[in-house]
Amino acid sequence: MRWRLIKTEPGAPMTEPDEAYAQDLTKSVVLTKLEDLVAWGRSNSLWPFNFGLSCCYVEMATALTSRHDIARFGAEVIRATPRQADLIVISGTVFRKMAPVLQHLYDQLLEPKWVISMGSCANSGGMFDVYSVVQGVDKFLPVDVYVPGCPPRPEAFMQGLTLLQDAVASDRRPLSWVVEGDAVARVPAAKPSQRDLRTPERMKATHLAEPTSVGSAPLSTDLLRSKSTEDRVK
Amino acid sequence: MSDVAEHSVSASSSEQPGVVRELVARFGADCFYQETVDAIPNLWVPKNRLVEVMRHLKEEIEGPFPLLFDASAIDERLREHRDGQPDSDFTAFYHLISLDRNEDVRIKVALDDDDLSLPSLTGVWSAANWYEREAFDMFGINFQGHPNLRRILTPPQWEGHPLRKEHPARATEMDPFSMSDEFLDAQQEELRFVPAEWGMSEEAKHTDFMFLNLGPNHPSVHGVFRIALQLDGEVIVDAVPDIGYHHRASEKMAERQSWHTYIPYTDRIDYLGGVMNNLPYVMAVEKLAGIEVPPRAQVIRIMLAELFRISSHLVFFGTYAQDVGQMSPVFYMFIDRERLLTIIEAITGGRMHPSWFRIGGVCQDLPEGWDIMVRDFIDYLPARLDHYDKMSLQNGILKRRSIDIGAYSTAEALDWGVTGPGLRATGCDWDLRKKRPYGGYDQFEFDVPLGSKGDCYDRCVVRVEEIRQSLRIIRQCLDNMPSGPYKANHPQATPPPKERTMLDIETLIQHFLNVSWGPVIPPGECSVNIEATKGWNSYYLVSDGAGMPYRNRIRTPSFPHLQMIPLISRGFMIADLIAIIASIDFVMADVDR
Repeated sequence: MRWRLIKTEPGAPMTEPDEAYAQDLTKSVVLTKLEDLVAWGRSNSLWPFNFGLSCCYVEMATALTSRHDIARFGAEVIRATPRQADLIVISGTVFRKMAPVLQHLYDQLLEPKWVISMGSCANSGGMFDVYSVVQGVDKFLPVDVYVPGCPPRPEAFMQGLTLLQDAVASDRRPLSWVVEGDAVARVPAAKPSQRDLRTPERMKATHLAEPTSVGSAPLSTDLLRSKSTEDRVK
Repeated sequence: MSDVAEHSVSASSSEQPGVVRELVARFGADCFYQETVDAIPNLWVPKNRLVEVMRHLKEEIEGPFPLLFDASAIDERLREHRDGQPDSDFTAFYHLISLDRNEDVRIKVALDDDDLSLPSLTGVWSAANWYEREAFDMFGINFQGHPNLRRILTPPQWEGHPLRKEHPARATEMDPFSMSDEFLDAQQEELRFVPAEWGMSEEAKHTDFMFLNLGPNHPSVHGVFRIALQLDGEVIVDAVPDIGYHHRASEKMAERQSWHTYIPYTDRIDYLGGVMNNLPYVMAVEKLAGIEVPPRAQVIRIMLAELFRISSHLVFFGTYAQDVGQMSPVFYMFIDRERLLTIIEAITGGRMHPSWFRIGGVCQDLPEGWDIMVRDFIDYLPARLDHYDKMSLQNGILKRRSIDIGAYSTAEALDWGVTGPGLRATGCDWDLRKKRPYGGYDQFEFDVPLGSKGDCYDRCVVRVEEIRQSLRIIRQCLDNMPSGPYKANHPQATPPPKERTMLDIETLIQHFLNVSWGPVIPPGECSVNIEATKGWNSYYLVSDGAGMPYRNRIRTPSFPHLQMIPLISRGFMIADLIAIIASIDFVMADVDR
């Protein structure tokens, strides 16, 4: 969809009536497909379901708080009931005993609904290849975005969220795998993985942080460190 | 077992600890004394005398043992090094603690595979109920006389008992998980709460009770936890907590990880406690292997553990205030937590789960500039805490919602196995860091904050005051950080120091084996108990002289704390229950493991 903003200038000469009419139209009328408009609206108002499983939920909750402020992406309206939410973040380990409950909650979410799998456990079982853990939530739910990490940083969760927003805005889903009957199939036009897309850019970082000094601590350190510390470090 | 009596008492009576002498004097040759590395006396008793011995220890003996600290079992069938212990297929053990004596004792009972049954101790300790259900679930031991012996951690229709050696460990060894409609319906049906199964009537003279299912997904239950409530109007008549939705099988996991590679799993037990979880585990391994930790490593450990105590308490404080109706405090506290995690990140490279402690020390030395960051933080936080004091603790609504709500006495706390801040809120001055200084805590000055009423408000105030005390400890770490190595120079310290590996072949081989297969820890048993963020956390390790633990029992504080909820919520409203749950400060991984 394209938006246009036209400034009116007081001293400008009057245009012919037909032309003025056309200009007026471009100022006040937006032409788009309904599908696109809805997708745009949806992508900027994802309402997550207040649901957490384990450690990852703490990092997800951190993304809601002031430092990371997920409200910037229009996704801060946490709903306590699945019937009011359209996004469920599987933040944590999917337990055998919890899986039926999770399926039930997912079924209660109203369409259209999206799933973010947050953290290694939800992605694949992660380090818990053990009798009580389902080896990835995609064994029974379709997943739109996988966020890696154990647990992922709040920033990683937010990246996952914005990726989902991009996908919702272009409304192509499901994005990677679908569960159909007993079979799990890959969607033909799946998006390339972020790993593949970003590898060239990431490989450019040749100067990695040295573990022997806090001066090279990650970006968030610089943001958080107070002025006085910065002076002293120098 | 028939042959327990044949062993009689092993060591001469002068070498035995006092409590063993007293018990042997009373119960005679039926008891058998076993020594372990942790210097906790182990006494094997025949199962027909178990209840008698326990009742004596709890009620009759001078300097009684009021706290049933832990109870579980060991599957002994594949264990090779059992020198001098009575024959046993399954050993049930009970870990008791006496506050008067400041002593522990571990009572063990040998069980035969053909007759896995024991008298229940639910009549002696209230806390025994869930521990026995857990032992039933994990090993299939029958506790005769238990009021409702059913599975607690695994789903109701689970086949087998996971901690028995023949039960598969990996999900990938079992049939792949699939979610059919029939499976979903059957599982959901099993979770249906049937009041009659819990001895609840559905009606009384004046009213019909309502039954409300809270959880396993509810914004106020702090994770996947479920309580079934019996309600008269909005007043709670009774409650049944239901756990096991967060069972990650950490104890089974230990039996296949090397001693070294198990460390990351400990981080995820109390997932707000970070490296605090590593501490009891690595200390227990060090005790088994006889490793002395250098002073610098000890102080680094204490500093990081206390930083994580602050981090955990900040999350508690914020969510507690939120659960009783204050929306904004949690945002303030998460900002502080974020500052704190920046320090953790600069030192360890991780945020929530650094897995940074090592057998024999820590992962690496402190980075240059760490002291500036830490000093900045401990100078910054006290003023914030003063602000929170005004904002939250002095707030009239918060006070009215939590004072005199969910109170219990010291005696009740001990009977139900409550430890940590929840115990100190009742006025019981018992902090392991003071009473049994471990890992170097005897070198530090700090106070132990106490409550008096044991209600929700006291539990909150005690934790907030503990933040200030932790800041004091961290300041002392900062001002007195010793120099020297950050890891012990010991063959079992993992990973071993790299420097000499290129110089001689012996060290190279040692290094290679320790890194690829992990260290081999001498056979023995050892438990270490620490004052963790939420209460007492102990690891009871059984080594069979292999590269991995034979049995790893994790005693977590939150497990008994949740069991107590019905006692302290009867007669209150549902809204009070939310305050009670918030004041307990638990995470489900710390309950179900």
